[in-house]
Amino acid sequence: MASHGVPRVSASEAPTEKSRQQELRKIEQYKELVNLVNTKAAEQQYTTEVLALTSTLLKTNPEYYTIWNYRRRILQYQFNQYVKDRALGDENHQDGQANVGSDLITTDLRFIIPLLIEYPKCYWIWNHRLWLLQQSSTISGDSVSLQLWQEELGLVGKMLRRDSRNFLGWNYRRHVVAQLEFLGQPEKESESMTETEFAYTTRMIKVNLSNFSAWHNRSKLIPKLLNERSADESARRKVLDAEFKQIQRALYTDPYDQSLWFYYQFLMSTISPSAKRSSLILLEITNYDRLNFYERELDNLRDMLDGAEDCKWIYQALLQYTSIYLELDAGNKTITTSEMRAWLEELRKLDPLRKSRWDDMEQRLNL
Amino acid sequence: MSLASGPGRARTDTAHLPDDLRLYIDKHVMYIQSLDRRKDELEYWLTEHLRLSGLYWGLTALHLLGQPDALPRDEIIDFVISCMHDNGGFGAAPGHDAHMLYTVSGVQILAMLDAFEDFEQRVQDGKRKIGHFISNFQNRDTGTFAGDEWGETDTRFLYGALNALSLLGMLHLVDVTKAVEHVDSCANFDGGYGTGPGAESHAGQIFTCVGALTIAGRLDLVDRDKLGAWLSERQLPNGGLNGRPEKLEDVCYSWWVVSSLAMIGRLHWIDKEKLATFILRCQDPELGGIADRPGDMVDVFHTVFGIAGLSLIGYPGLQEVDPVYCMPKSITQRILAG
Ligand SMILES: [Zn+2]
Repeated sequence: MASHGVPRVSASEAPTEKSRQQELRKIEQYKELVNLVNTKAAEQQYTTEVLALTSTLLKTNPEYYTIWNYRRRILQYQFNQYVKDRALGDENHQDGQANVGSDLITTDLRFIIPLLIEYPKCYWIWNHRLWLLQQSSTISGDSVSLQLWQEELGLVGKMLRRDSRNFLGWNYRRHVVAQLEFLGQPEKESESMTETEFAYTTRMIKVNLSNFSAWHNRSKLIPKLLNERSADESARRKVLDAEFKQIQRALYTDPYDQSLWFYYQFLMSTISPSAKRSSLILLEITNYDRLNFYERELDNLRDMLDGAEDCKWIYQALLQYTSIYLELDAGNKTITTSEMRAWLEELRKLDPLRKSRWDDMEQRLNL
Repeated sequence: MSLASGPGRARTDTAHLPDDLRLYIDKHVMYIQSLDRRKDELEYWLTEHLRLSGLYWGLTALHLLGQPDALPRDEIIDFVISCMHDNGGFGAAPGHDAHMLYTVSGVQILAMLDAFEDFEQRVQDGKRKIGHFISNFQNRDTGTFAGDEWGETDTRFLYGALNALSLLGMLHLVDVTKAVEHVDSCANFDGGYGTGPGAESHAGQIFTCVGALTIAGRLDLVDRDKLGAWLSERQLPNGGLNGRPEKLEDVCYSWWVVSSLAMIGRLHWIDKEKLATFILRCQDPELGGIADRPGDMVDVFHTVFGIAGLSLIGYPGLQEVDPVYCMPKSITQRILAG
């Protein structure tokens, strides 16, 4: 009902009688399975056989959320059985049974993987996985649970290699990391994974500069990273300079890629007078520092125009940051109104789609 | 508390559109009417988990096309009631579990049919039950909302809750201030919003967050120029809009992006004629319906969001759509005034 990228079949290509019959047979089979599963659900049957039926149905239709819910109820029932047995059983028994609960979870985690690969945009599959992992502490104990969560990091890494922009995958990754940090790693001093996650974004960006999801995550990690390092002002300055250098290099490689410009916007926003405290990189920045930053960046942007005169993003950035720069230092004469007007004219020529935005900009900047 | 939605519509100057490009109103009406009769297609059965939302999409499209009576009112009300559970929530179809998404669709359908009274007569205490189903899902500490008993949270559910509760006149059941705080915690440096705190900006989530803030009367929290800039950069040279930087265009973003622009008063920051051309090119000229991209298979989801997008940019011959609710403006105005 919400299909993407499926080519349309023309109305004149009417289906043959044979394919029509095939379709009807498929419908009958599907409806039979649905009725069977729903009958079992109404009878509150929570057996392994019914669990297998839900597997078959979910493989055909992973969007059928009610069946995922039913599957969870079946598993919940089986977990409870197991916990009850464990409470009643003698010690000799416990070793053997300790695996039953874990097995239920690992088997289900394995069952989902091919589904996840085939339907990476299906919310319910990711949700079911999270639910299973959340159960694992109670069922299998903290150390097994921790191991399962650690394996998840490998899985989500694989998913993001297949589609590095899948935002469900990135959400999942942040969730797994938070969980791992919560469960803690007793052998290490710090439970935080900020450093390794930051390194992960570096690797992802190296593979594909245009991966805005990775740049975005980086923007969230940097302030946290610096706080956790208890970085002093000069260490912070070093990190900021390195980030600027990295994005400059990337922009020289491809100045037409908007992912890069949005990350550049992030870096610039951290030195702006209106930056939110929670997203700061430099903690003690004076107006004098700011002016120096803006001057350096405006010079860089002007240089970038050389050979990329048709790149609208450079003009946009020049206008945006010049206006803040002039607000900071009203008496400044290094950038003239006529220069700004010329940039705006280029922008209008290069980007007519957003014509009215440039009109509004002209008014706002009094050009 | 203000329930006002964004400023009025812009105008699309259709004189510049290519001659053969027009909106096939009759074909779209027929396409939507055909949807419940396609029981000989496997797809009909495989999409049952969306049925109630599908009905909301189809009904909205028909209203915007000026054919509000093209589907039988009584049958729709029967169906909506048959999806309702004792706890006040709605499933996607009879026998499907209750979920926030379908509960919102149920309320929107009843609102569009002006059927709250019929509903109340047939389901005792029905509105109050729905209100409690929804409000129970709010986490009173963080302000966020779960979608169902299993606890997944997402700004989509928060928006859905405020949408339905405002239509029911029951916003007082939830902590709107806390909900607003949660939305604000999902804001990113680029002015956009994600599924939750820390998540990447995404046009669909921006629609839900800006919609929630509009219902709560807290648009002052939005950096309109920054967000407007990000949203306007979603338009690609072919006129279509994408949902995130460096992604492909898709008709459904004609709604998420354009409605958000409308709510923050920046609708003029994109090229409306080019967008209209793109949406019109995604129509199936033979059998009606609109697809994600030209030449693709149509579906009712892209059909309603294509038509709603056209309405928002002032395409002639369409009823005006409310950018906050994706329902006819005349209907939301009547309900929210009462
Ligand atoms: Zn789409």
